[in-house]
Parts: sequence; structure tokens; C-alpha cells
Amino acid sequence: MMRGIHQNFDQQQAPAFFARGPSPLARLTFFTAMSLALMATDSRLQYLAEVREKLMTLLHPLQVIANAPSELYHNTDEYFSTHHYLLAENARLKEQALTQDIALQRLNILNLENTNLRDLLEAKQSLTETSILAEIIHVGRDSFTKKIIVNRGKNHHVITGAAAVDAKGVIGQVTRTYPSSSEITLITDKSLAIPVQIERNGLRAIAFGHGRDNTLDLPYLPANVDIKRGDKLVTSGIDGVYPAGLAVATVVEMKTTQDSPFAHIVCMPTGGIENDRQLLLVSIPEVRQESATGFPANAAPASKKNRPSAAAPVAVTAPAITAPAATSTKPAQNTKPAIAAEPAPTPSANAGSRPHAQQ
Amino acid sequence: MRNNKFWSIYLSLFAAFICILFPWSGIALSLRPDFMLLVILFWLLRAPNQCSVGTAWFMGLWVDLATGGIFGQYALAYTITTFFAVIYQRRLVLFSSTQQLVYVFSLLSLSQLILLILKAFAGHEFLGWTYFLPSVTGVLLWQIAVSFGLNTGRHSHGS
Repeated sequence: MMRGIHQNFDQQQAPAFFARGPSPLARLTFFTAMSLALMATDSRLQYLAEVREKLMTLLHPLQVIANAPSELYHNTDEYFSTHHYLLAENARLKEQALTQDIALQRLNILNLENTNLRDLLEAKQSLTETSILAEIIHVGRDSFTKKIIVNRGKNHHVITGAAAVDAKGVIGQVTRTYPSSSEITLITDKSLAIPVQIERNGLRAIAFGHGRDNTLDLPYLPANVDIKRGDKLVTSGIDGVYPAGLAVATVVEMKTTQDSPFAHIVCMPTGGIENDRQLLLVSIPEVRQESATGFPANAAPASKKNRPSAAAPVAVTAPAITAPAATSTKPAQNTKPAIAAEPAPTPSANAGSRPHAQQ
Repeated sequence: MRNNKFWSIYLSLFAAFICILFPWSGIALSLRPDFMLLVILFWLLRAPNQCSVGTAWFMGLWVDLATGGIFGQYALAYTITTFFAVIYQRRLVLFSSTQQLVYVFSLLSLSQLILLILKAFAGHEFLGWTYFLPSVTGVLLWQIAVSFGLNTGRHSHGS
């Protein structure tokens, strides 16, 4: 009531033309200062992360509303998909499941064998990572960055730093988690680096996103580096973020120029960066699990990042000597001690292929 | 009347925000006009008393949140853009419709230019001239709205 009177009075006092409060210049100065302060705070300090999270929770219902039309379109599209198409897809999936079943059986045997061999070496057990299936809600709205938002968040135990993987390879990393969604930065984003290995020769490198076209760069490699077109890059697993051995990219271009001591290497990601709806969020548990076999975890330091150091080769070679002793304490693992004792020193020879024994 | 306008301003801003939240991707994303800035500019011309630099700044923060970038980028771009819009708002009465389109186009490009500079500071590269396509689609959208009878305040002021 008071307010209405006041406004009426105000309008009588000054014509609407002039009743504008502070001058535009004053407003400009004030709000520019506010924006700059916000940008500085957000980019340099971490205070706003929590605020952002809260606001994203507020935003979530709006997001659901905005997604409703396309969601509806997808659903009706699926509903009206023809019988023939579904049959064909079913047959294809069955075939795929069969081939994967066979591969899985071999994988189980290989896993068992790997566990036994690792026991013999007293090496740490490879981590069993947890994975969460997520669906892409929308791709990032900022054309400068390569980001996607998926429909799984803190409430579904997604953690920041988890790797995002699809059927063909790594596609990115979770960079922000909100209560019911999370933001994934794709490996093609300029700010994302991923430690990789050349599958052919075990050479380690770090791949950086290119940012513009969907490619990756391998910078800082000497011009005489042993990389050829068609080489496959896989995750090395040194970082403790990505599980080792996942496909990342294929080298499509390798150029050396006279004026640069470095090779110019361009790689194409193998994962369906732009064309998948479902993906897996794979996270390695923070604490390395106590080895299930009962060995004290002394073979390698329990730190998350096994940086290449002088200690690493020792950790590998030392158990090789004591390997027969170790087998005697584990009757269950005695199935093939004779085979394992022979090739035991070899890991130190081809150390490049193992995450723990870097240089 | 005033109350009515207040609601229509905020409902239209809300609608623009929902438009931004649509799952845009690929070519559609590179063509997507800046709905929020268009609506803000419209209200800036129609109702400068209710919608001003502050409104633009506030809505810019929400766009920042939606795009997931650093807080304040869109806010700053909208602030500066609306400042220039406000300065020239009174002369707009005399503008022909073509002049008005040029005016809107330059404002939209200005906002994109500011964003580009801010992104360049953050270490991003220029995406090529297609980066400015949203300004063109924005003007087209403006023209479509005008031809459908939307009064952009050219012949009415203080209403």
C-alpha cells in the first residue's frame, strides 16, 4: 500500500522519462565491477563451487522441463519404430552378446591368471573400478569448451575425476558434480590432458585436447619419436584416474618440420565423442584396497600416484627373487609356480607396459 | 498496468532462459541466437524503467550458470551491451526499421565480442567467423518477431 502511494508520488514528481534512478554509467560501473569480482573469485578461488551446486539444484527442474520436448520426441520415435527394425536390432544385439560372452570367458581366465602372476610377484592387485551408467542430458552450451552434462550426480555416487568411457574408448572426465547431474569435460577440450601409452611400443606421452576440431595433440615429443600413423593410444593408468589400457585415440597425422624440434602429431579419438547417448562413469576407489590375498601392501607405495622413481624398479625386481618363497605361503596359488618363476624377471625388462614400473 | 508489465517481463525472461536450456547441439548450437539478450533488449526499448542494466546483469548470471562457464562472463557482456542500448534508447524513436536492425545486430555482436575477449583471456581460441552467426540469427529472429506485429518501441515510448 505504502509502496503504491510512493510510486505514484514518484511518478508525479518526475516524468517517467527521467525517473531512472542511478545513471546508466553508474550502473555500468557498479555491475562491471561486480562481474569482474565474480570472475576473479570463480576462476582463482573455490568459494563459488558450493553456490554453483546449490543453484544447479534449483535449475534442475527447469532443465527437465526444457528437455521434455526432445525426450518426448525420442520416446515416441522409439515407440513407433517398426517391428522389422526391432527384430534386426535384436538379432544384432544377440550376436554381439554371444561374441562378447566368449570374450568374457577368456577374460575371466586371463584375470585369474593375472591375479596369480601378480601374487607371485607380490605386486599390487590391479584395482577393481566401479562404474555407473549415465545418459547425456545435453551437450555444453558454450561453443568454446567441449563439455557434456549427464544425468547422474552426487546422489548416484559419481565423484569428480571419474573417467567417462563408452564402448569404444575414453571420452572424458567428470569435472563437476551436482546433486543429480554432472559435467564431463571431453578429452578434446583444450584444458584436458590424458596420460597415454602407444599400444605398439609402450611409449608414454600426454595427450592434450585440441579444442577446435575433435582431435587430440601429442605435444613435446621429439621429432625422431617412434610413432607412426595408425598407432593406437591407450590410457597408461599412471595418473590413478583412468583405468589402464582403455583405448583413447588413433594417430592420424605425424609430421616433423625443420624449424621445430618437436613432432606434430594429431590423433583422432576412438570413443564416440559426439554421437553417443549412454556412457559409463568409471572411478577408481580412492583408497587402494588391501590386497585380497592377505599380502601386506609393501611392494609398491600406497600413494595414489606412482610417479616414476628409482623405487619402482626395485619394487618389481625384489619380489622376483623372493617369488618362490611367496608361493610357498599360498598353497592355493601353487597351480603354476614353475611357469611363473621363470618369466618373473621379465617385467623389469619390458617395464614400459606396466603402470608401476615406469622407468 | 505496471504490475501486468512486470509479470510479462519476467515471464518472457524466464521463457528465454528455458529456450537457452533446450538441449542444443551441433549446428543448432552454433546457430542458436542469444534469446536472453534479445528479450532483454526488447524490454530495454519498451520498458526502460523496469528493465535495465541490473536486470541484464542478473539474467547474465543465470546464463553463466547454464553454460557452466566462469561466473560473470555473460553478466559482464550483458551489462556492457545493455549500457550502450540504454544510451541510444531515446534516439531509437527516430530510427527506421532497417536502422533498428543494424542497431540490434551491433549490440548482439558487441556482446559476443566481449565474450570472445573474456574467453581469450581464459586461454580459448577464436572459433572462426562462424562464431558470430548467432548475431545474424538473432537479428533474423528480431525481424520475424517485428513482422509478426511485435512492437519494439519504435513508434511508442513511455507506454
